[in-house]
Amino acid sequence: MAAAFIVVRKEDLEAQQNAESCQTLRCLTSELGCLTRSDGSVSFSQGDTTVLAVSYGPAEVRINQEQYDKATVEVVYKPKVGLPRPIDRKREAILKSTLEAAIVTSLHPRSSISIIIQETEDLGSNMACCINAACLALLDAAVHMAFMVAAVAVSVMEDGQIKLDPNKKEELEGRATLTFVFDSADLKVVSVVTSGTFSQEEYKKSIDLTRLAAERVFQFYRDSLSKKLMQSI
Amino acid sequence: MKVCVGQVTLPGDEFDMSPLESNKKIVVGPGLAEFEGMIKIIKPGILRYREPATYWIDSHQKRYVANKGDLVVGIVTQKVGDIFRVDIGSSEQASLSYLSFEGATKRNRPDVKIGDIVYANVLVANKDMEAELVCIDSDGHSNGLGVIRSGGFLFQSSLHLVRKLLNPNCVLQKTLGKTFEFETAIGMNGRIWVRAQSDIQTITMANAILASEHMNNVQIETMCKKLCKVASKMD
Amino acid sequence: MRETPLSNCEREFILKCIAQHKRLDGRSAYDYRDIRIAFGVSLGCCHVELGKTRVLAQVSCEVGQPKQTRPHDGVLFVNVEMSPMACPSFEAGRQSEEGVELSRLMERCLKESRCMDLESLCIVAGEKAWHIRVDIHVLNHEGNILDCASIAAISALAHFRRPDVTVQGEEIRIHSMEDRTPVPLSIHHFPLLVSFTFFSQGKHMLVDPSEKEEKVMEGKMVIGMNKHREICTLQVTGQMLLLKEQVLRCSNIAVTKVTVITELIFQALENDKQARLKGEKHGFAELVSGEKITSNKQPVTDVPVSQAMEESEEDGSSSMDSDSEESESFTQHASEERKVEILAKGVGMIGDGGPSKWIDLTCDDDHAESKKSTKFKPELIELDGESSEEECQVVLDAS
Repeated sequence: MAAAFIVVRKEDLEAQQNAESCQTLRCLTSELGCLTRSDGSVSFSQGDTTVLAVSYGPAEVRINQEQYDKATVEVVYKPKVGLPRPIDRKREAILKSTLEAAIVTSLHPRSSISIIIQETEDLGSNMACCINAACLALLDAAVHMAFMVAAVAVSVMEDGQIKLDPNKKEELEGRATLTFVFDSADLKVVSVVTSGTFSQEEYKKSIDLTRLAAERVFQFYRDSLSKKLMQSI
Repeated sequence: MKVCVGQVTLPGDEFDMSPLESNKKIVVGPGLAEFEGMIKIIKPGILRYREPATYWIDSHQKRYVANKGDLVVGIVTQKVGDIFRVDIGSSEQASLSYLSFEGATKRNRPDVKIGDIVYANVLVANKDMEAELVCIDSDGHSNGLGVIRSGGFLFQSSLHLVRKLLNPNCVLQKTLGKTFEFETAIGMNGRIWVRAQSDIQTITMANAILASEHMNNVQIETMCKKLCKVASKMD
Repeated sequence: MRETPLSNCEREFILKCIAQHKRLDGRSAYDYRDIRIAFGVSLGCCHVELGKTRVLAQVSCEVGQPKQTRPHDGVLFVNVEMSPMACPSFEAGRQSEEGVELSRLMERCLKESRCMDLESLCIVAGEKAWHIRVDIHVLNHEGNILDCASIAAISALAHFRRPDVTVQGEEIRIHSMEDRTPVPLSIHHFPLLVSFTFFSQGKHMLVDPSEKEEKVMEGKMVIGMNKHREICTLQVTGQMLLLKEQVLRCSNIAVTKVTVITELIFQALENDKQARLKGEKHGFAELVSGEKITSNKQPVTDVPVSQAMEESEEDGSSSMDSDSEESESFTQHASEERKVEILAKGVGMIGDGGPSKWIDLTCDDDHAESKKSTKFKPELIELDGESSEEECQVVLDAS
């Protein structure tokens, strides 16, 4: 299936040229509660990559998925083009296990906490964007969580250079793409998603770099929610 | 990150115990939980404190989780034998016995139809069991509870908006009350039933309540004034 | 998931208001809600907001075989996706009756109106042709998905560009985006769907129904029309009978609505084209304004590489090791500090107002018993029958 075309912008090219001196995390934007029918929703973007995520929970659960001691976490990922492919199912599984670690499921037995993610624009670091959006959607719905999660991706280029928060072009050119998910309490790794080949040294470097970037993402969560929550009498 | 009262907290933050004297007994409410010997925040919201030693997180959410003692507005969805199944917006439907209405006996059944709205009290709320509602207090009096069947309009809002409306410091109801005569039933599950003297007034009230979600008292007053003016012209 | 049922009270109130020519959102009977059309960074991606109803459409293409019956034509495929994102009652991966009706109507609107020149999509007759796929995702259901979807679909098709193709003898070359400017699809006209809902045996009629109005309606008429006043589709559903005059009146209303909306689509396409030419920022990320309290924007942030490197050097060992060290020190740290002991799970009431209802009573919490220090006797707290949420009473113990 041929995907939709991607247009490379002038700014992106310039940013790439400046990249060597300092690694940058692209511009983050969020709009909480953008959809009305769900319990929590967010439109989240990292640079031009945008994702829409909603969460329901604790809600009614299908009888065959009911668990008597904890809530069932469901994740649905919807690609923009075509029907969900096996790779999207894999993405759902990763998201599910990551979010299950963060959600306190024991508080709501026999219910479901579902997260639905709609890809709206994939221009690099889509997986990281999905995880961040899912976390924000859960925060917007005020689902009980033991900690928050933030994901940051890096691309290892052919020459061994590590590029933080890659755009589509860098992702395609790179030798490997690594996405690290950290928790907010101690900034420990919750999950790692990798593709391609990389050395141990590159892995260590990436983990340190993404950990620093994850702190910025957590700060962004805090700013977004403070802005929304501080408005009360 | 350690947090103190009045601050915005996010899940994973740690409750700051250092200002408290040791051996102090405290009560922790919704949004706080014990993890590995520490109290942690598990919900985004604002940390609140009430005398003598109660702490809880005031969060913004839409989904209702049944809580004992809450007054809720439910919609009857089914009649099963002796009980009614009532949708209260939580993960499960609640049950409401036909005997828990004022003056109801085995012979004298209350007149409840599917689709009716009831204003009820949550008697049993437990994460492992389905919630049970009653429309009477312990003396058998209705006390304003029961089926609402006198017109009006029902709409859904978020849970924090309901808590805001019920806060004695909130001016919305008082301001609206200056222009309109109205009757309302506010459920902790986010459902609000309103009936004013005319339909236009009812619509105006519903819109005013929904619009006040992110407003402070001053903004609410100006908004109400504007809306009332428009509504009185239309009548 | 279950959807909130509609109560009798709401149904009666809405019908009463409609009979009095009033609508809940203050519109008059023939008013549309505000329409916002936005395009994504990728071509053929369109996002339409009709009030709070939201639809996203994405057009994609691939080379495939044309249909045997029509060897000279390309193929247009329309797919409508209704996920639980839009409304809790929609199920992922399974089309509801409503979804099938929507897909069919969209197909009729786009394919059977012959609004697109399919012959121009043919590369080699009988062998190769472009397959154009329109994916329509319903994001938020606040009524009248149909009109919103038709605006999104046709705008996305107009926005889309397919790669240029050259055929030299046997060789077919598909040029990349950089190689040759991609070509737009040839669209003859813009068919749009306009829905009319009827109440009380067709006595009252509303344009652009909201979600609640759709739930109480008796029947619906959908007119597909382009700005040349040509009707492309017409469908009547529901249990009602319409008079000839009513159909004519509706089609007259449709004419004005379609003209306005078509103008709006052209305007949006033109704006997007200008923004792209000037190299300005475009795409969905630009739609979020930082001014609303629910939205937030963090500009591009620098993450110092040197700091990251230093940290890893300081640790000496791999970061995995440092993690485990950290956790050890973390638990030690915790044990040195004051401990929390749970005395009992209790029940709290917030909804009722008034003072807190946490009451004291005897309890035998094994956990508290075993852990408690000698100098401290735990005060026993009542369990009010069941513990509701996560309220519990804890003690800070300086051991």
